[in-house]
Amino acid sequence: MRYLKEVLESRELLANLTLREIRGQYKRTIFGQLWSLVNPLASMLVYTLVFALIIRVQPEAGDPSGLDIFAVWLLCGLLPWTFFSNVVQQGMGSILGNVGLVQKVYFARIVLPLSKVGSVGYNWLFEMGVLVVVLVICGAFVWPWLPLVVVTMVLLAIFAAGLALMLAVANVHFRDTQYFVSIIMQIWMYLTPIIYPISLVATQSEKYGGLFGTTVSILDLYRINPLERFVAVFRQLLYDNRWPDPQDFLLCVIWALAAFTVGLWIFRRSERGLAEAL
Amino acid sequence: MSEIAVSIEHVSKKFRLYHERNQSIKSAIMRGRTSVHEDFWALKDVGFEVPVGSTFGLIGSNGSGKSTLLKCLAKIYYPETGSITYNGKIAALLEVGSGFHPELSGRENIFLNGSILGMSKKEITGKFDEIVDFSGVEQFIDQPVKNYSSGMYVRLGFSVAINVNPDILVVDEVLAVGDTEFQAKCAQKFVDFKNEGRTVILVSHSMESVRDMCDSAAWLRHGELVRVGPADETITAYLESLPGASAA
Ligand SMILES: Nc1ncnc2c1ncn2[C@@H]1O[C@H](COP(=O)(O)OP(=O)(O)OP(=O)(O)O)[C@@H](O)[C@H]1O
Ligand SMILES: [Mg+2]
Repeated sequence: MRYLKEVLESRELLANLTLREIRGQYKRTIFGQLWSLVNPLASMLVYTLVFALIIRVQPEAGDPSGLDIFAVWLLCGLLPWTFFSNVVQQGMGSILGNVGLVQKVYFARIVLPLSKVGSVGYNWLFEMGVLVVVLVICGAFVWPWLPLVVVTMVLLAIFAAGLALMLAVANVHFRDTQYFVSIIMQIWMYLTPIIYPISLVATQSEKYGGLFGTTVSILDLYRINPLERFVAVFRQLLYDNRWPDPQDFLLCVIWALAAFTVGLWIFRRSERGLAEAL
Repeated sequence: MSEIAVSIEHVSKKFRLYHERNQSIKSAIMRGRTSVHEDFWALKDVGFEVPVGSTFGLIGSNGSGKSTLLKCLAKIYYPETGSITYNGKIAALLEVGSGFHPELSGRENIFLNGSILGMSKKEITGKFDEIVDFSGVEQFIDQPVKNYSSGMYVRLGFSVAINVNPDILVVDEVLAVGDTEFQAKCAQKFVDFKNEGRTVILVSHSMESVRDMCDSAAWLRHGELVRVGPADETITAYLESLPGASAA
């Protein structure tokens, strides 16, 4: 409780550090904030080219929205993923990247990883805004679902923050963490139905049936992945324009709270030793 | 004796000296532990009290543990044993401008650094003119701080820090970069602090300034407290202990 109070008292610092990241990010660039769109757009082009035009992956049309555009379908999953992956990787390096501060000034160290959630989240918000405009132009009726989209975005941010807190500590003690995690993130992305629909996995899973004589199928294992649930909820809301599956949504909540609780606990336990270990 | 601002009791601080610093998972697994290390005590059972409203100097040779003690005061390190109790709000100035973002302007950095040091936005806005005034860099306040000279950097950082309005100010040897005029300004500021009943703890290698500014001083050698008392006597004893020292 005392810890939470201290963190709350640092919210102004958190806001300022986040602003520092945001302002410093595109300083002295001509296109400024537009750069934050370039990365997802480039990936979108590449993936669309390879997966829609060459391999001919065909996700189902949005139901009931009736949308059937691979690039838009892709972005509904890709943007949340990019946010998640950036928060985890930047948050992980945030303590190490601010050695000067951590060793010279006392403040609640937790604001460092959290400020990354803020600054990456700011870009994400911008990207999602553009996506909503695109969806509306394409004829989706997204407006009623936007509040739930925002809730899910907050949940994903909490989940990512939890992982970032754990990894930030691990990275101070073992510098391997950052290299290890960047590989994990690549694998993780392909283990999540972002550039291909989950129906492809379901088909394969049916072919094999239960694994090792149990009723557990490949699909069940596949769906343990928390990001699968998040991506599913985002697509249901944005692309399909319908209520999210309650089970998916509930699991998002549970994953977010669990990750954040564990992350906070680990971070709090090791916070005091950080300055020395650096 | 008057009231006590900071009381340091039996403080010991241990560092691990690694023979082979290898922060990798491989080495951890190979040896079953992080690395081979031996303990090094940077502070050994140090204890003294600093009365409210005094200016207190900390002297000693390089590596004697002065900065380590200040970091324990500033809650950056946590001592293995012993305790430190404060009477009032503490602000530490261990390295000036460590929270500055090079691409941001002086103005933006004042707000950033102020909030790192624990000031609210309202407080900073209220003191903004005073901060800029004291630093003497108003002409460059909207320039990115990476274009500042190192003295200007220190001036701005120091101006922010003293305007935090702490009851206890802890200063490591950061002022050496400022010019004579700025050092005089700072010395005056310490006097003002003292007159307002605030406490200053400072580390310096300049014995003249310690003699001028401080009422009392503590002398550390290899992490041990050798002597604490009136500044003059402590300095004399310290200088006499130095090899080849004639009276300075
Ligand atoms: N993080 C650390 N890890 C290991 N050893 C450390 C660490 N910080 C300080 N030390 C050791 O503690 C001792 C005291 O260092 P400290 O910085 O307190 O000296 P100092 O009195 O401030 O010296 P100077 O006058 O040069 O500033 C030194 O031997 C130093 O090597
Ligand atoms: Mg020092």
